[in-house]
Amino acid sequence: MKDVAVLGVGMYRFGMYYDISNAEMARQAGMAALRDAGLSFRDVQAAYVGHIFAPVMAGVRVMKEFGLTGIPVQHVENASATGSAAFREACLQVANGTYDIVMVLGFDKMTTMIQQSTQGTSPENMEDAILPAAFFALWATRRMHERGMKVEHLAKISAKNWNNGALNPMSQRQSAEPTSVERVLKSRPVAWPLTTMMSCPMGDGAACAIVGRADLAKKLHPERPLVRVTASDLQSEKYSRGHLFMGPVVGPAQMTIDTSANVYNEAGVGPEDLDLVQVHDAFAIEELEYYELLGLCKRGEGEACVERGDFELGGRVAVSTDGGLIARGHPGGPTGLAQIWETTLQLRGEAGKRQVKDARIGLCHMMGGGSVCVIHILQKG
Amino acid sequence: MTTTQRPRVPIKPGYFTIPDDPQQPPKLLGTKCNDFSEHYFPRRAICARPECLSENTADVELGPRGTLYSYTFVHLPLFGSSNMEHAEGYGVGQVDLPEGPRVQLPLAGKQGEFKIGQTLEAELNTLREDGASDIVIVRFRPLEG
Ligand SMILES: [Zn+2]
Repeated sequence: MKDVAVLGVGMYRFGMYYDISNAEMARQAGMAALRDAGLSFRDVQAAYVGHIFAPVMAGVRVMKEFGLTGIPVQHVENASATGSAAFREACLQVANGTYDIVMVLGFDKMTTMIQQSTQGTSPENMEDAILPAAFFALWATRRMHERGMKVEHLAKISAKNWNNGALNPMSQRQSAEPTSVERVLKSRPVAWPLTTMMSCPMGDGAACAIVGRADLAKKLHPERPLVRVTASDLQSEKYSRGHLFMGPVVGPAQMTIDTSANVYNEAGVGPEDLDLVQVHDAFAIEELEYYELLGLCKRGEGEACVERGDFELGGRVAVSTDGGLIARGHPGGPTGLAQIWETTLQLRGEAGKRQVKDARIGLCHMMGGGSVCVIHILQKG
Repeated sequence: MTTTQRPRVPIKPGYFTIPDDPQQPPKLLGTKCNDFSEHYFPRRAICARPECLSENTADVELGPRGTLYSYTFVHLPLFGSSNMEHAEGYGVGQVDLPEGPRVQLPLAGKQGEFKIGQTLEAELNTLREDGASDIVIVRFRPLEG
């Protein structure tokens, strides 16, 4: 992908906000991104808006908060990968010259969904009776059987993400004391071997990125390191025997391997070149699997890497530097844009206490309902 | 166990059989591609293999036995169930059917009874009552020995 840059980013901290509307959170995240870019909404030529749980047209309604300038507004929805998929559309439009400056906005309120879902008593589809966490737990049990993974490995990954989140002012989960492996192990069981602290929380929030031509980024902020989007790919599932049609949720492992191969090829970098990585760590088992599927280590070496601390801040390649879905939170629509927010700040050297030293290349990975995988590579300079 | 069987109604039609004889296990309703003999669950009209995509498919019954590929135990009630059996939680398994498909369905029993590689058999399980009928789901139970 040529000459596409992140001009600005903004977030509304993820959390449980029963009294704050989507419009309020989205406006604040959007205005923060515009201020960060040094732009006015008058400069925005198009918008891609993502949400999962809000009603029809919620995106175009929320966009009215910024002013009615007549720009094209498009909705993008791809489950957990909604924000990432919207970001991809904006990048493609800038890359092919359709627009110079595009706003990508994601928001969601799971608190509203929780209030509504408690009214329903019957699952819509047969697989809906089963808690989604169970499908990820099945992945964990199989890995224990095949590779000797222990529950302690999952607890160590979770503790890392909780501790990273504590360094991120936008993280939903902020633990005052350092999180230990023991504390994670003692948290309430959800679906064996997963516990609450190994799982992402429910939440609300908003996040925004302004995407534009790279030369504009230099003009707007000549003093600031340029953050380029050098690769983008989105794939859906490819059939192979044993494919799970009912309760997709997790998705075939091959999808992350194939999607990452495409972005590495497009950016001309390999996994060994990455300084920081964000993944769809809705559950700790996912992060462990994605270390291997993204090529950060060889197949079967994930546990040894966790034991060594390879993916901690200061390790070989820092993963989930902002706390990941587990700590920073995962409201849905804005989640993928929170990854872009974090990676942009890291590449600019503005990530404060969780700054990865000399960060030059970052990767953002998201899964949507186990049915799509979206990956972007962002590079400094 | 009552001697007169209450009518059993599937939570969603088109996924599994309800045998007339309550002693018989249910079968899963699947599809076979006649061009590649690939089997699918649940039913679909077009073969999913990228190199096939044939519409020459037929309805088949799958199971009732399979092999446990992975399992978990959920520590929350089964959604939509008023069966006391599901109040403390429920097992979930990935089961490989001999015809090829892997399915994800609830398991009967406690976590200690599940073992990867064991043989299981499908059974109907009441989720709740609806007037004179029982609303049922299909699940798998580990076979003894
Ligand atoms: Zn076929």
